[in-house]
Amino acid sequence: MKKIYLKTRFRHTLTLSIKESFSIFMQECKTVCTDKGVIIIFLIASFMYPILYCSIYKNEVLVDVPVAVVDQSHSKRSAALLRQIDASRDVKITYHCTSLQEARKVFNTRKVHGVIFIPSDFDSKIVAGQQATLAIYCDMSSFLYYKALLTSTSYIILDNSKQIKTERLNAQGITGEAAKMVADPIPYDDIILYNSSMGFASFLMPALLIIFIHQTLFFGIGMLAGTAREENRFHVLVSSKIHRMGIYRIIWGKSLCYFVLYFALSFYTLGLIPRIYNLPHIGNPVDIVYLLIPFLFATIFFSMTFSTFFRNRETGMVLFLFFSLILIFLSGISWPLKNIHGFWRAFGWMFPSTQGIQAYVKINSMGATIREVSFEYISLWIQTGVYFLTTTLTYYWQIKKNKIRFRIRQIKGHKRVLTINNPTKQSDNTADYKSES
Amino acid sequence: MPDRKQISPFGSTLRRELARMKSRPMYFILTVGIMSFCIIFFISLFNEGQLLKMPIGIVDHDNSKISRQFVRNLNATQQAKIAMKLGSYQEARTEMQKGNIYAFVEIKSGFAENLQANRRPPLTFYINDAYLTAGSLLLKDITAMSLLTSGGVQQQILSAKGIDESLISGIIQPIAVDTHMIGNPWSNYSYYFLNVFFPGVLEFVILMTTVFVIGIELKEKTSRKWLRTADNNFIIALFGKLLPYTAMFIVWGFVCNIILYGFLYFPVQASIFRMLLATVLYVIACQCVGILIIGILPVLRDSVSIVMIFGMFGFTFTGFTFPIEQMNYPVRIFSEMYPIRHFFNIYTDQVVHGVDFRYSVVYYFILLAYTLLPFLIFFRLKKAAIYQNYPIK
Repeated sequence: MKKIYLKTRFRHTLTLSIKESFSIFMQECKTVCTDKGVIIIFLIASFMYPILYCSIYKNEVLVDVPVAVVDQSHSKRSAALLRQIDASRDVKITYHCTSLQEARKVFNTRKVHGVIFIPSDFDSKIVAGQQATLAIYCDMSSFLYYKALLTSTSYIILDNSKQIKTERLNAQGITGEAAKMVADPIPYDDIILYNSSMGFASFLMPALLIIFIHQTLFFGIGMLAGTAREENRFHVLVSSKIHRMGIYRIIWGKSLCYFVLYFALSFYTLGLIPRIYNLPHIGNPVDIVYLLIPFLFATIFFSMTFSTFFRNRETGMVLFLFFSLILIFLSGISWPLKNIHGFWRAFGWMFPSTQGIQAYVKINSMGATIREVSFEYISLWIQTGVYFLTTTLTYYWQIKKNKIRFRIRQIKGHKRVLTINNPTKQSDNTADYKSES
Repeated sequence: MPDRKQISPFGSTLRRELARMKSRPMYFILTVGIMSFCIIFFISLFNEGQLLKMPIGIVDHDNSKISRQFVRNLNATQQAKIAMKLGSYQEARTEMQKGNIYAFVEIKSGFAENLQANRRPPLTFYINDAYLTAGSLLLKDITAMSLLTSGGVQQQILSAKGIDESLISGIIQPIAVDTHMIGNPWSNYSYYFLNVFFPGVLEFVILMTTVFVIGIELKEKTSRKWLRTADNNFIIALFGKLLPYTAMFIVWGFVCNIILYGFLYFPVQASIFRMLLATVLYVIACQCVGILIIGILPVLRDSVSIVMIFGMFGFTFTGFTFPIEQMNYPVRIFSEMYPIRHFFNIYTDQVVHGVDFRYSVVYYFILLAYTLLPFLIFFRLKKAAIYQNYPIK
């Protein structure tokens, strides 16, 4: 008999909790949809940021970086070499100067980002069978200039060197296959994986896409919490109207609302954008969905935990916007994780974005499966658990504070009723609290 | 006495602002917390300066004396460290996908034998360029090492063939390249990043602070009090309000410069005073952009959103990661709106290239011209402060 009673009771509680969670879910959806600021962050920012950044970095590599040349050799060979350099993708010769001083003047005005200097003895040294030197000067204000100039010149010089080598070996009586052997005994083959054009967008954008999801969620949830505290009575995060329903139902209902929204948005951000802008997308979409579930939940609970500290609507954005930059560096995408100091690596581990970026890049750009990213995957689930716990604690603390304030108000109101004997005055009490902060 | 009258409203506005700064922890975090965190974070993150000893893998099927020598040489290079020796290509690729290694070299079996038999055995290396920084450095390093190994073999063969020692270097490397990296000869990443990050974060914080301190008055409907303290003179009100922040951020700018060029001895080609002058102008320019933003949209939360969108692009539009000239035309025009873009030009000229002052004078004037911006919205903002006719939420 008792068993049946417990069973029905359990079923009743379950249906009730689902019902109530659903009602909080619907309520939160309504709040999100009616708040213009949150819509801007959740929807418009999420839509626009990927497009804007992708169009900024659309040119993946540098093309035709202007350089000046100083050709003091004036030989057929140097002219041919320069022609080849000019024809390469990375570099374009825009100035021919007679001296380094003149080239420097052009360089100072920033019309060119590099100088190629061919000394007067260049040709004669090559004819004499000696080693000829050639100097290049690079603008180091951006490393990509340096890379462009260095790659194009070194490939072309290696190519020319092979020719000269064969000529010289022939002169020494080494010919045919033997000359080939001596000229290049160990041919090397450099295979660039996962970003074969060495493009900048293909490298940075996948990480930024995750950052967009992480940061828009964080600021959106922070804004919702700040607004709730500005508008609710006594500046509490959770109004008494809802918290009667129980803390887990509130957290589940709210987080589910964000999750559903972002799960749908992620199809655009992580699925569509890489295909439209031709970023790397060799990963298995199923694996990305697997990854997305813990990543979104971890981010949501992380944001909900921190949102309890935001008293005002804009606090989160004002104080933590700069953190997006820090998160990119903590993720180890541009500065390899192995080279980050242990303390910062541990610090970075705490943020869902770090694991999210690493795992997404590995799956999406490098074709890894969930098995290869198991470290990140498990970390994300741990984070989900821990941040869920902290969310519960902070919400509990907030509600308790709320109850105490409610109690104080009741007592105060009571006193006032007793002294002034005017119950309508009660409402002024709330106004006082509001103007306080 | 008109003179005394003019000083006292300014003084009282100043005093009022200082009192406000003490009232909430938010002001402290904005003006002190963020900058100090970023300075500590970035300096400690990039303290190596260069990426050294990045993990790579080796798939050595040959295991001969020559191949092991090559592996040892590779391990001794600056950038690469052999983290693991792997059994097969498949295994190495999995490790790469796990992110444990950034590159691996495959030496096929019979490498030494083929080399001695003059059959030109190839050396294959695989670089993961999904991590572009690590990838491109390792590509440079491993290519150099394989060329060097190749050169060693050539030298042996040529000596064995009895060719004169003086001719050998001319045969192995007929053309040598002498690379000069202007302003950063070690291709040091901390020189490259920190010089831009500090002003970048500073711009961000200044924009936020300026928008916040003015916007909060409008939001909390205290702007009339603010005006009244300044004797209803809006210019005095603005100056009195923003001067503490100007002073504070100029100090921060100087601190950054002194840390970079004084303590960390980053190379600076020209006089540091030119950078200090640029910093002063830069801080004021950023504040003026902040006033412009809050003036256009005198609603705190909207202007904070604008700063969020505007500020985030600041780093992109300096053009130090991906050069501006290589971007699309509309983007290039847009980038000119940012004070950091012009500050970066001054930095490139003075710190990296060390050119004459006259080359960058125009950028100093552009930074100075930003002070005209607040006049565009002066009356609009004043009206907003008086009538408080914008939504506060």
